[in-house]
Amino acid sequence: MSDAPVKLSVQGLTKRFNSLEVLRSISADIGRGEFVSIVGPSGCGKTTFLRIVGGLEKANGGEVRLDGRVLDGPGPDRGFVFQQDNLLPWRNVLANTEIGPEIGGYRNPEQRSKTMQLLKLVGLAGFENYFPRQLSGGMRQRVNLARALAVDPDLLLMDEPFSALDAQTREIMQTELLRIWEEGRKTVLFVTHQIDEAVYLSDRIFVFARRPGRINEIVEVDLPRPRPLSMKRTPEFVAYVDHIWKLIEDDVRASVLEEHA
Amino acid sequence: MADTALTKAETQPGFGASFVSGLKARAWGLGSIAGGLLAWELISRFIVGNKLFLAAPSQVVVAFFQLASNGELEKHIYISGLEFILGYVIACVLGVLLGLAMAQSKSAKQALQPWVSGLYATPTVALAPLFILWFGIGIMSKIIVVAVLVIFPVIINTEAGLRTTSPQLIETVRSFGANARQIFFKVSLPSALPFIFAGFKLGIGRGLIGVVVAELFGSRAGLGQLIAQSAETFNMPALFAGVTILAAAGIAMTSGFGWLERKLLPWRE
Repeated sequence: MSDAPVKLSVQGLTKRFNSLEVLRSISADIGRGEFVSIVGPSGCGKTTFLRIVGGLEKANGGEVRLDGRVLDGPGPDRGFVFQQDNLLPWRNVLANTEIGPEIGGYRNPEQRSKTMQLLKLVGLAGFENYFPRQLSGGMRQRVNLARALAVDPDLLLMDEPFSALDAQTREIMQTELLRIWEEGRKTVLFVTHQIDEAVYLSDRIFVFARRPGRINEIVEVDLPRPRPLSMKRTPEFVAYVDHIWKLIEDDVRASVLEEHA
Repeated sequence: MADTALTKAETQPGFGASFVSGLKARAWGLGSIAGGLLAWELISRFIVGNKLFLAAPSQVVVAFFQLASNGELEKHIYISGLEFILGYVIACVLGVLLGLAMAQSKSAKQALQPWVSGLYATPTVALAPLFILWFGIGIMSKIIVVAVLVIFPVIINTEAGLRTTSPQLIETVRSFGANARQIFFKVSLPSALPFIFAGFKLGIGRGLIGVVVAELFGSRAGLGQLIAQSAETFNMPALFAGVTILAAAGIAMTSGFGWLERKLLPWRE
């Protein structure tokens, strides 16, 4: 990443919920066009971190800069892809995808043709008039992604977007996401609890530790692109997964025991 | 004429076929209604045998046409219809506005909630004589009785609909920088619409009861007055004719609302 200019810069970010320290002094830089994943055990604050960057939650200390500007609150410079698709059930695919431009007040014919391009890109051409209830889970997540891309954000924030999908659909969506990402090379911050998903998608992986949430290690994934699904069975890939699993194993065990206590 | 009907049926096989299949799909419902009417007819003719106690459906139909032919029925329907529509529309508009106020403002909610809860549970229809005393024997008192009965389910449903808006959906539009006004019009209001419609539907039955009861207590015309008058003169077929018209109006309006709902809210089901 060292060669790309810094897109997102996080300095000393801390977050507390009452007396519970959720994030302790997180600092990291993300380069333009970089795909960064965050993995870690439950309760490590990875989703909270993403929500702070997205402006959906306030930090107790530290700052987040996008292209040098300090961020405060949500905005169309970031596109948020939610874990649940959160589509508005009374809007069809087209109207759901255009909600961002509509809120920003720049819905026009030019925007419409961009939206149609986008729906084609995510594989939903021909489904413009479908309502969410008529779509499968995978298709709904495609709309979720298209909706975030429709504001042409500088930064794409993705919060475990494939966790509600079945294993096969999930793998397909991973390859689709890489294909779409290769088209525009947006800067992506992707939260997941699946290690192999993080390795498959990312340039770098922030491995979080818990209590309090902090970056334990940053893993550079030195695997060539484009990456076919078969890459997941290569020794290099498995070695990355093993390495990250060892980093979080103790934390995961602790959190599992805690949940059953 | 039989010929033209036949050719029409032949050139448009879809219509005849869909009509027949529609009848088949409703066979049990239609059979049940026909059986009920038949049993009513037989019991009133051969077991009760006195139309003072129970008028047969055929006698009700005769009474209906008699009333219709001298223009009396038209007058009653017009008066009751006017009372219902004015009271109902006023209640729906005011009810939605008050429901919105209660959902948007904590102080409005605190101020209105005890009145809404109290008056919704009270059988306010029992106060109809009082309204007639205050607002006279004309249509004004009836409009007010209808409005008072209809407004509470509308308020309660509007408020509940807005309050149960999914916080995730609100957060989603907020992530694109939506302001409070945009959140209201793009998320809260559309998500509350099915609830508001349900409130309107509940209001139909309550409104019809309001019209009739208020007219029973004192009026110059209307279906309630027709029913009261028929009861006093022991004209049971005419009484049943009045009740049947009210039932038909209730069914027609409720299913009309169902149709409107499917048109306006096609995203449901």
